[in-house]
Amino acid sequence: MSTLKHKGKGPQSMTANELRDGYSVWLDENLDWTRDFKRALRTEDQDLIDRMQLKADTDEKANFVVGVYFIDIEPDTGLPVRYREKFRVNGPSYDTADLLETT
Amino acid sequence: MYRYDEFDAQLVADRTRQFRGQVERRLAGRLSEAEFRPLRLMNGLYLQLHAYMLRVAVPYGTLNSEQFRMLAHLAEKYDRGYGHITTRQNMQFNWPKLPDVPDMLDDLASVQMHAIQTSGNCIRNVTCDPYAGATAEEVEDPRPMAELIRQWSTLHPEFTFLPRKFKIAVTAAEKDRALIKAHDIGIQIVRNTNGDVGYKIYVGGGLGRTPIIGQILREFLTKGELLAYLTAALRVYNRYGRRDNKYKARIKILVQETGIETFRDQVEAEYASIDISDIAVSEEERNRITAYFAPPEFETLDNDPAELQKALEANKAFSLWAKNNVAAHKASGYAIVNISLKPKDLAPGDITAAQMRAVSDIADKYSFGELRSTHQQNLVLPHVKQSDLLALFAELETAGLAADNINLITDIICCPGMDFCALATARSIPISQAIAERFADPERQRTIGEMQIKISGCINACGHHHVGHIGILGLEKAGVEFYQVKLGGDASEHAEIGKVTGPGFSQEELVDGIERMVDFYLETREDSERFLDTYRRIGIAPFKEVLYA
Repeated sequence: MSTLKHKGKGPQSMTANELRDGYSVWLDENLDWTRDFKRALRTEDQDLIDRMQLKADTDEKANFVVGVYFIDIEPDTGLPVRYREKFRVNGPSYDTADLLETT
Repeated sequence: MYRYDEFDAQLVADRTRQFRGQVERRLAGRLSEAEFRPLRLMNGLYLQLHAYMLRVAVPYGTLNSEQFRMLAHLAEKYDRGYGHITTRQNMQFNWPKLPDVPDMLDDLASVQMHAIQTSGNCIRNVTCDPYAGATAEEVEDPRPMAELIRQWSTLHPEFTFLPRKFKIAVTAAEKDRALIKAHDIGIQIVRNTNGDVGYKIYVGGGLGRTPIIGQILREFLTKGELLAYLTAALRVYNRYGRRDNKYKARIKILVQETGIETFRDQVEAEYASIDISDIAVSEEERNRITAYFAPPEFETLDNDPAELQKALEANKAFSLWAKNNVAAHKASGYAIVNISLKPKDLAPGDITAAQMRAVSDIADKYSFGELRSTHQQNLVLPHVKQSDLLALFAELETAGLAADNINLITDIICCPGMDFCALATARSIPISQAIAERFADPERQRTIGEMQIKISGCINACGHHHVGHIGILGLEKAGVEFYQVKLGGDASEHAEIGKVTGPGFSQEELVDGIERMVDFYLETREDSERFLDTYRRIGIAPFKEVLYA
């Protein structure tokens, strides 16, 4: 999980990794975990943020996910603020596996 | 090569069974992540940027074909069809799933492999000269000694929770292919003036955020003293190494802060207090281990057989490959073959499952079933008949493994970087691919000659950028990747840390700048100077000038 704290200002998303498969996930509008960041809930609403925290903590305790944390979102692009988190959203820019799938 | 005895097999089987139970309890919620994390790390399982990553130990970089086929099987069955050779001669899988890992470890155990001590603050996998047992340059095969250290350090109760990780590298040749001076302890097998074979011990080397070249701790250690002396050095480190700051916790910092003379005195004092007979291994046991590494039965052959000469003259591609990728063997009529894992289209060190199987078949057919991984992220077939080189080359071509760029500008060391690593600050794979693309012309590569470019995606320096002739460090500021350049590093027996040139570059600027430096070197070099030689002769200033032009 990220070792840097988010600033907690502006829109936020909740992220984690799946315990079983390890993939990056984000909470969506239904407070379900999605592997697709495009469906991630991005919000400044403090009530929603509190519910996201509760859901994340609950699911971490229930061993669905590990390493839950909030990330800051750029209001204009809807993308994570931190470069590392932008990268998590897209996956590797190069993976030999992709090459194998196309050949 | 070494075969597990009953104790080894039992130990690995117990450990695998133990980890299966731990995974089951984690998945059932009976272990929290805080409880499970140190357990999975002790079994080489990381949670990286996008997924889990399993790091499999390849002790001293030695593999047989059966083991390599098993790695292919793991890649195909549990991962995404490929593996990655690391700069510590291990193999990483980037996409395993937690419930599968116990099965992966079982499969590994079936071929006498494991993932123990590939993480954590313990003595890590011992690395070694990949030409061990094959080169005439060595005093003796260093692998029996590496195996002895493996046995001594495996689950060593006193050294399982050191202040920080501890890396040992060994070589028996003057020409250093194991980077021993950049390790916590480096060991060189030497012969003293009396003709006795023993060990020269270096300490306190390392890369990372504080790169330091190791210093001599002991000029000569007799064979029987090795484990007791290592125990003494580790005890001093365990006692005095810093635990308040992980960035100051490696032995290199302790040696720097203590001073090598005082540190040496402390080690010698500790050593004097040890009853060597408690730790030392008998000559009989050393001989038993050494017997596992007995050379294969080489045929009596002449060097440079006529069919080889004929093939070299007739086949230009083969001739160029042989010139770059084949090294001299200690047995007449044999050769050491380097297989480059640096083709233009794959990430450095990546190898597909199909290629692993092809290499295994080739090793069986031409190299007594033996192969090696290198810290430069390539493979070695240690014992190939010179008369078989053409046929072997043809099979490597079929497998897409005939790149003839060993030690050339496109034979780049490169960590996984931000594409996979949770610690990275920038990508490194696309940089290596851009450089490989820019210098793709094989003729141009050969004109440039020996050149070591090494790229790290963060300050932890897994890509060894500090010791690259050109070292590249990827950083990030305000969401933009940039790359700092170091010049003049050296990973050889003349190990040296490169010097930072100045402000960093974007990827495009970086590749242009490297090309300008290379062109400048070609215009400026004298006789057969390598890039590094020219740099040493004229200094950093002229190179900086063209880099920042």
